[in-house]
Amino acid sequence: MKSQGIAVGLFLLASASASGGIADKVIRSSIDGVDLIASPTAVKDVVTIVGSMPAGDAFAGSGNLAVPTLTAMMLDKGTTTSDKFAIAQRLESVGARISFSASEQTLDIQAKCLRKDAPAIVHLIIEQLRTPAFSPAEFEKARLQLTGAIRRSLDDTDTRADIAFSRAIFPAGHPNRKAAAEDVLAAVEHATLADVKAFHAKYYGPAHLTLAMVGDLELKPVQAQLRKDLAGWHGGVPALSAPPATPPAAAVTQPINMPDKTSVSVILGQASGLRYSDTDALALRVGAAILGSGFTGRLMHVVRDREGLTYGIYSGVSDDTFTDGDWLVGASFAPELLDKGVASTKREVERWWREGITQEELTARKTDLIGVYKVSLATTGGLAGTLLRTVQRGKPLSWLDDYPKAVDALTVDQVNAAIRRHLKPDNMVLIQAGTLPKGK
Amino acid sequence: MASETKLAAGLQYWIKCKELQVKLNSKISLALVAGMLGSWTACGAPVTSPGYSYVKSLGGIDEYRLDSNGLDVLLVENHSAPVTTFMVTYRVGSRNEVIGTTGSTHLLEHMMFKGSTNFNDAKGNSVKQYLESVGGAYNANTWLDRTTYFAEVGNEFLEGYMAVEADRMRNLLLREDDRRPEMTVVRNEFEIGENDPVRALDKEIFASAYEAHPYHHSTIGWRSDIEKVPIEKLRAFYDTFYWPDNSTVSVIGDFKPETALALVKKYYGSYSRAPNAIPVVYTEEPAQTGPRRVEVRRAGQLGVVGISYKSPAASDANMPALQVLGSILASGKTSRFYRALTDKNLTTEVSADPGFFHDPSLFQIYAYLAPGVGHEQVEKVLREELARVVKDGVTDAEVSTAVQKISADLAYSRDGTLAVAGTLVEWIAAGDWTLYSTYPESIRKVTAADVNRVAAKYLTETQSTTGWFVPVVTP
Repeated sequence: MKSQGIAVGLFLLASASASGGIADKVIRSSIDGVDLIASPTAVKDVVTIVGSMPAGDAFAGSGNLAVPTLTAMMLDKGTTTSDKFAIAQRLESVGARISFSASEQTLDIQAKCLRKDAPAIVHLIIEQLRTPAFSPAEFEKARLQLTGAIRRSLDDTDTRADIAFSRAIFPAGHPNRKAAAEDVLAAVEHATLADVKAFHAKYYGPAHLTLAMVGDLELKPVQAQLRKDLAGWHGGVPALSAPPATPPAAAVTQPINMPDKTSVSVILGQASGLRYSDTDALALRVGAAILGSGFTGRLMHVVRDREGLTYGIYSGVSDDTFTDGDWLVGASFAPELLDKGVASTKREVERWWREGITQEELTARKTDLIGVYKVSLATTGGLAGTLLRTVQRGKPLSWLDDYPKAVDALTVDQVNAAIRRHLKPDNMVLIQAGTLPKGK
Repeated sequence: MASETKLAAGLQYWIKCKELQVKLNSKISLALVAGMLGSWTACGAPVTSPGYSYVKSLGGIDEYRLDSNGLDVLLVENHSAPVTTFMVTYRVGSRNEVIGTTGSTHLLEHMMFKGSTNFNDAKGNSVKQYLESVGGAYNANTWLDRTTYFAEVGNEFLEGYMAVEADRMRNLLLREDDRRPEMTVVRNEFEIGENDPVRALDKEIFASAYEAHPYHHSTIGWRSDIEKVPIEKLRAFYDTFYWPDNSTVSVIGDFKPETALALVKKYYGSYSRAPNAIPVVYTEEPAQTGPRRVEVRRAGQLGVVGISYKSPAASDANMPALQVLGSILASGKTSRFYRALTDKNLTTEVSADPGFFHDPSLFQIYAYLAPGVGHEQVEKVLREELARVVKDGVTDAEVSTAVQKISADLAYSRDGTLAVAGTLVEWIAAGDWTLYSTYPESIRKVTAADVNRVAAKYLTETQSTTGWFVPVVTP
C-alpha cells in the first residue's frame, strides 16, 4: 500500500473540522507488506499499539481446533533468542505491555509503552511473531492453561450463550462459527507442537499484518526499526470469506441448563447476511441502536425502566468485519422472570420490525452515535481501535471523516427498509443459559 | 478463542457507557489507582472568581470552595481534545449503611436516574435523554466510600449536563412508583453477581474479615434489603447525604477555569449547606486475634484459593510499599507467584492487590487453580512464598522493576478525561485528592527496606482470612 500520510501533527478534534479531517492527521505507510497506520496525538508519553493478522481460530479449518489459540499462546513464551523471562524483564523494566490473543478471524495484538520505548516494543512484537521458541515444556504449560481457561468459561452463562448462538446461526465452515467448548477441550488433548509449528509456518507473515499506533509518537525511528526487523520475512494470508449465512426456516429455542445460577443469559437474534461495507449495513446498525443502545433505546426504556425485568438489555450488530455478521438482543433475567422478560423482548422486537422507527428516534440517535464516535477518538486506545477497524472493514481512511456524514444522511425509510429486508422476526434463534425454570 | 464473548462485550460496552454500575468489594482491581498529570496543564496562578475561596493547587489540579455552601470544586485542565468530563462525587458509600439498609446507597444511585423536578422523562429532558441526545459517555457508580455521577461531553454540552446534574442533587423526585420496578432491576444486578462463584467467595471473605465495620457487607447489599428497603429510608438517605458540603465536583478537560467556576456557581450556588451535620462512621473494626477461614461450595469447574490480610487505609504512608509488594508477588511473568505457581502448572492466574479505601481494608491474593490441582497444594505454596518474602525480603532489582511497571501504568491512566476522572475519584473517596498528585513520587521512593517492613507488618497469619471456592461437580 502506498503511503497516504500527509500532515504530521497533533490530533485535535477541534481542528478536524476547522483545518482538515481526522484522516489528514493519519500517516499510513507500507513497510515490507505491513500496513502501518499511525497518528501522533497530544497525549504525553503514552503510545498505544493495536494490530491484527489473519491467523485466528477459523483458520483451524478441518484441522485441530485448538491450534490457532495455542499458537497465539506460544508467542509470549520465548523466542529463538530470548526466553520468556528475559522478554518479560525487557518489558517490565520499562513498564511496557504486549499481549496476543486469537479471535475468530485474526491474531490480535495489543501493546502499550512509553514514547522512548516505541521502537524497541515494535521490534519485540515482530520478534515474537516471527521467531517464537516453541519450547516443548512451554507448549505443555500452554495446553494446561488453555484447558483451565475453557473449563472456567463453562461456568459463565454469557460465554455459554454466546457460543451456542454462534453455532446456531452460522453454518459449519463459516469463519464466525465458534467451536463447541467440549470439542476444543478434546482438541487441546490431541494437539502437538508439530501442529503449532506447521500452523505458524503456513499463516504467519507480514503480508496482511496491520499495525495501528497512536499517541506520543516519533514515527521515523519506528518505521526504520520495522524495516530492519521485517527484512527477509515473507508469508501471510488474507482473511477468510464465506457465503452469507441465512436465517433458519423456523424459530429455534435452545436451552442451556447450568446449576446454581441466579441469572439467565439470553440471546435472541439471527445472521444478518451483511458485511459492514455492504449497502444497508449502516442503516441496520442505526436501527439496532434505536432498539437497544443506551438507556433511551426502546429495550432499556421498556423492559428495564418501565417493567423492571432486567438489569441489562441491548441490541446490536457484530461480527461483520470480514464476512457477514449477526444481529442480536442480549439480556439477563432472573429465572422466575425469564418468561416475562423474553415475551417483552419479543414484543418490542416485533413492534420495531413491524412499525419501524420514527423520525424523532432517528434524529436523536444520530446525534448520540456521532457524539459518542467523536468522544471515543479522544484517547489513544479509542483512536487506535478505530483506525484498525476501519481498514479491517475494507474502508479507506477517509471513512474516519465520512462516517458521521453517512450516519447523518440516513433516512427513516432507509433504516426501516434495512430492518425488514434483512431480519425475519418469525425465524429468530433464542438461547437461554442458566438455571432454567422447570419445563425449559 | 476470543478473549471476550460477544454477550459479555456487548454488556460491557453498555455498562461502561451507559450504566449505573455497582462495584463489588475487591474484584475491581485498583492496581492503577493513581495517576500523574504529566501533559495535563499545570494550572498557573489560581483565578479569582466571585463567591469562591481558593484552597490549593497541586500537580495541575486547582481546588476551590464555593463560599455559600461549602461545595468543593476541582479543576483539571487538558486542552488536547475539545471534550470535558464533569463528575460529582458524594462522600457516601456502602460504609454508611447499617443492617436493613445495605445496598441503599446503590439503589439510590439508580433512583437518581428516575428524574428530578426540572429534568425528567415526562419533560423529555432527563439526564438519560439529554446525554444520549448529545453523544455523552456517561455513567454512575457506587462503592464502599462514595457515589459518583459523571459524563464526558463535547465542550458545548458542559453547561447543559451541569444543569441536569445539579438539579438532581436536591430536587430528586424519588417516587415509590419508580422504586418498585427499579428494585427488580437492582436485584437482577445482584443475581448477575451471584452467578460468579468467585464474587460470592469475595463477599464471604469480606464478611468474615469484618465483624463490626460496615466493609462487612458488599456495596450491592443483601438480597432481602434490596427487596424490602422502603422509599422513606431512601429519602432519608438522600436528605442526609446529598448536599453540596458533602460532595466534590470535578471538571476535567478543555475548559476555561473562570467559565467553569461561574457555571458551577450558577447551578449549585442556590443550594444551602446540609441542615444537619453529616453523620460520621465511627465504628472501628476490633483487632483480629486469629486466622479465619470460609468456604464456598457451588457448581463449578475449577477451584480458587483466596488469602486476605488486613491492610491500611489508602491514605496511609505504607500504601505505596504495599502496592510494590503486590506487584513483586503477582504482576507479570517475573513475579514470585507466577514462577512458583503458574509456571509450575499449579494455577492459571494469581493476583495480589491492596484495597484502596477510606478505612483500613484488605490486601487480597487470589489463586485460580489449574485443572487437577488441589486447594491444599496451592495454599501451601502461597504460604511458603509469603513466608519467604517476610523472612528473606525482596531485592532492589525486584523493587526497581515493580516501580517501573507501576509508574508506567500511572502514565497510561491519564489517557483521556474519563480515565483521569476514574482515578481521581478514588483519591477523593479516600479522603485526600492531593494523593492523586503525590502518589507517583511516593511510588518512586519505595525501597526494598520499605517493602520488607510492610510485608512483615501486614502479612501475618492472625490478620488473615482464607477462602476457598470448592466447585461441586454435578452429574
